[in-house]
Amino acid sequence: MKINISRQHIYLLSISLFLLIFVIVFAFAVLIPKGKEYRIQRTDLKKESKELRKYQNFSDETSEVLQNLRSENRRIITAFDIDFNLERFQKQHKSHFTSLNISKSQKLKDQEEFTVYEVNTTSKISSPTSFYNFLDAVNKSDWIIDINFPIDFKRDGELIKSSFTMKVYCNNRDKNSTASVSVAK
Amino acid sequence: MLNSYIKPRKKSAITQEIQLMFTFFSITILMLFITFVFLAFKDYTFAADSRDIHNERVSIEKNLQVMKSDISYIEKQKQFSQTIYTKNSVLKDSISNLFDLVPQRITLSEAKLLENGLILYGITPNKDVYNFMLQAPLRSIFHRTYSSFYPAENGWYRFVSTNYTDKEEELDIEN
Repeated sequence: MKINISRQHIYLLSISLFLLIFVIVFAFAVLIPKGKEYRIQRTDLKKESKELRKYQNFSDETSEVLQNLRSENRRIITAFDIDFNLERFQKQHKSHFTSLNISKSQKLKDQEEFTVYEVNTTSKISSPTSFYNFLDAVNKSDWIIDINFPIDFKRDGELIKSSFTMKVYCNNRDKNSTASVSVAK
Repeated sequence: MLNSYIKPRKKSAITQEIQLMFTFFSITILMLFITFVFLAFKDYTFAADSRDIHNERVSIEKNLQVMKSDISYIEKQKQFSQTIYTKNSVLKDSISNLFDLVPQRITLSEAKLLENGLILYGITPNKDVYNFMLQAPLRSIFHRTYSSFYPAENGWYRFVSTNYTDKEEELDIEN
């Protein structure tokens, strides 16, 4: 039996075969690996997005905590930021004393990351109650002030002459520059 | 001279079958290429998104570090200021208690409040008033109390009362 295939059919068959092989090779060698890669990358991206959302939520919560902390402690934060001013202190607290003299502050050794200035004070008060009022007022003043020993009360006629030292605490601008800058925002 | 009475039909290499086959394969290959381009484009966007996410994460981490450091610093400020405020309040109470301790009959001329002690200068009508009304409560507060008297012009006694608290003893008691 003789199979009679025309030359045209042979061309057709060979081109079809060639193209079929090309399609199969292209699909298996290029498309399927690419598709797998796409699926893996899509999963990874979803995972990364989920993690990023968690991070953002955590960051938002931390930011809220920070904001609350700042608003609750605004006075304290500002008090640590402000430099001590003798005139302003005298103006604020002279009402508690008959006379109030403050000598220039001197820098002491840093304490717990805070800069400490010592201020010597001599004053005259009419009664101890004035001094108690002063101590109450100091806790509400514009600075963080620690009334320090020794405290000397001496009778001076009808008045009481008192002398004591105060420690004023400020932010250490070198050590806490980052924190200070962000706090000041 | 003509050898045939019919006109020869034009023969072409691209027959209808070949055209059909080419159309079929063209569509198939086009679809494959479109899929390939889609996947390649998606790969590119995924890579870009991944890069963006990484950058954003780094920025959030940095921001978080700054915020954490701020929180810890503010907490520190708060705690430190509370300690100072408490110390000032305790000082106020101590001074108030000290002046309440002094009986009406004894007049103080000077009081020195030290870190670990108290020195009082004053005048008392007699030693007994001082011993019973001032020294006794002072003894109960301080670990060591020393008193010295010298007569005043009006017959009363000037006194110097030196009182100290021993820190070591305080520690022993705590232990």
